Amino acid sequence: MTALILEDVHVEFPIYAAQRSFRKALFARATGGRVERGGGRHRVAVKALTGVSITLAEGDRLGLVGHNGAGKSTLLRVMAGVYEPVIGRVLASGKITSCFDLLPGLDLEDSGYENIVTAGLLFGMSHPEIERRIPEIEEFSELGEYLALPVRTYSSGMLVRLGFALATSVDPGILLLDEGIGAGDARFADRANRRLQSLVDRSRILVLASHSDDLIRAWCNRAALLEAGQVVEIGPVDDVLAAYHARNQARVGQG
Amino acid sequence: MAPTVAAGHTMSPPKNPDAATGDDGMLDRPQSAPAAPLAKSAFRDIRDGFLRPDVWGRLGWLEIKRRYRRTTIGPFWNVISLAVFVATVGTVGAGLWDQNAREYLPYLTSGMLVWLMISASANESCVLFIANSHLFRNGAFDFSMLAYALVWRNFIVMLHHLVVYVVLVAVLAPGLVTSATLLVFPGLALLMINGVWVSLLLGMFCLRFRDVQQLVASLIQISLFMTPVFWPADQLQAGTARSLFVHYNPLYHAVQVVRAPLLGEVPAAESYFAVIAMAVAGCAVTAWVFSRFRKRLAYWI
Repeated sequence: MTALILEDVHVEFPIYAAQRSFRKALFARATGGRVERGGGRHRVAVKALTGVSITLAEGDRLGLVGHNGAGKSTLLRVMAGVYEPVIGRVLASGKITSCFDLLPGLDLEDSGYENIVTAGLLFGMSHPEIERRIPEIEEFSELGEYLALPVRTYSSGMLVRLGFALATSVDPGILLLDEGIGAGDARFADRANRRLQSLVDRSRILVLASHSDDLIRAWCNRAALLEAGQVVEIGPVDDVLAAYHARNQARVGQG
Repeated sequence: MAPTVAAGHTMSPPKNPDAATGDDGMLDRPQSAPAAPLAKSAFRDIRDGFLRPDVWGRLGWLEIKRRYRRTTIGPFWNVISLAVFVATVGTVGAGLWDQNAREYLPYLTSGMLVWLMISASANESCVLFIANSHLFRNGAFDFSMLAYALVWRNFIVMLHHLVVYVVLVAVLAPGLVTSATLLVFPGLALLMINGVWVSLLLGMFCLRFRDVQQLVASLIQISLFMTPVFWPADQLQAGTARSLFVHYNPLYHAVQVVRAPLLGEVPAAESYFAVIAMAVAGCAVTAWVFSRFRKRLAYWI
């Protein structure tokens, strides 16, 4: 049974710019460490997520809504395992597929085929699995002969097609999508939507961060509203979207 | 700007029957699934990483390819630069230390090829996580794979350098190849084990404290002159304080476990002892630091 459970997850990013250097850390040690300045010196940190608890079971399609900087992307990355929570924990059963970077390990001098292999391996596939997917990727990306050429010869649209074809060929268990997976030109966009739809349909759990109400309504059966790193609403899509817009209205009213 | 999927209006409702029912267990849904923590232990990282030679092998190989891309002779620049180095420095050194070229050139070559492996590994370790940060921004990642890739890559470079040695020995001193030469293999294995912990430890340190990279680079540069690579170890008289640079120099022993076999000699027991002790102590320290700070690596970028 596929599941993704977040228990009281806190994430904060330390800001080291000022004290990243070895000298300062060394100095702090040499002087007995932790010199309290003006009643307590705290390390500068940005609180990105505070006390997030979410339980997702098979069939759940969760939409994440909220303003820029509300913590949607950080939450997705915590779910993906990029960041381990400072407090709390993330439990998962099932394979997690995250499509933040469509072509991990991209090398512009490598050919399309070589990049497919590199990225596929980094997505956790094995060589035979990648080989099996190549015909499908060839067909979908419509790159033809270009696949044997260095990727630097591609237009940006072609590169998007390659990455999209590869990333959407995976077998998703728990699928994490950050909005704005590019899709190239208009003709491609239509096919891309269908392909993305099929990817989403194959997934057991979907978490999608998006600013598009239409997309959230179309794909999700639950939604969570994030504000300043906290889940302030979680429930049926329409309720959460309504709450989101109500808050926006209130904010505009105040301003 | 390219239109994004998010702007599409052709989406159909979810076809998953579970999803379509729109049940609302919401926050306090009973946990029926045996879900495991996503967080990985340092041990599992090191083990799982090692079990993906397809990934680290490719990462290491690609890096070499990248370096020599669009050059005509590619990695043989390694061979040429070492050959030129040996020819020039060897001529001067043989005069300086009053050595016989037949003995000195193989000594210098074998010492340099081990040294180049050690110094390149140490320098690259400093950017292990910094340069590869894009690889672990997509999901859970076995950081140890980067260390294996680094060691593998420097092993391949060493094989290129070995060409110079093989040619030189074949021409000048075929008598150097004895049964002791086989000890090259355990020697290299020991260096590679040390390479893994050094790269993980230095990689973590340099990620958190960006000054360390500069420190390591200059230390490595200085140690080349303090370690018997250009000059024969027996030039420093035993018993004098200066011979500390030989017997208490871990880099000397690291060089020696590979160089001595290449010169047809069995390395001294103290060299094996030093290198094995380094491997054990280094692995222990690294295991501790790695298990403590592994989960912070993504935050340190």
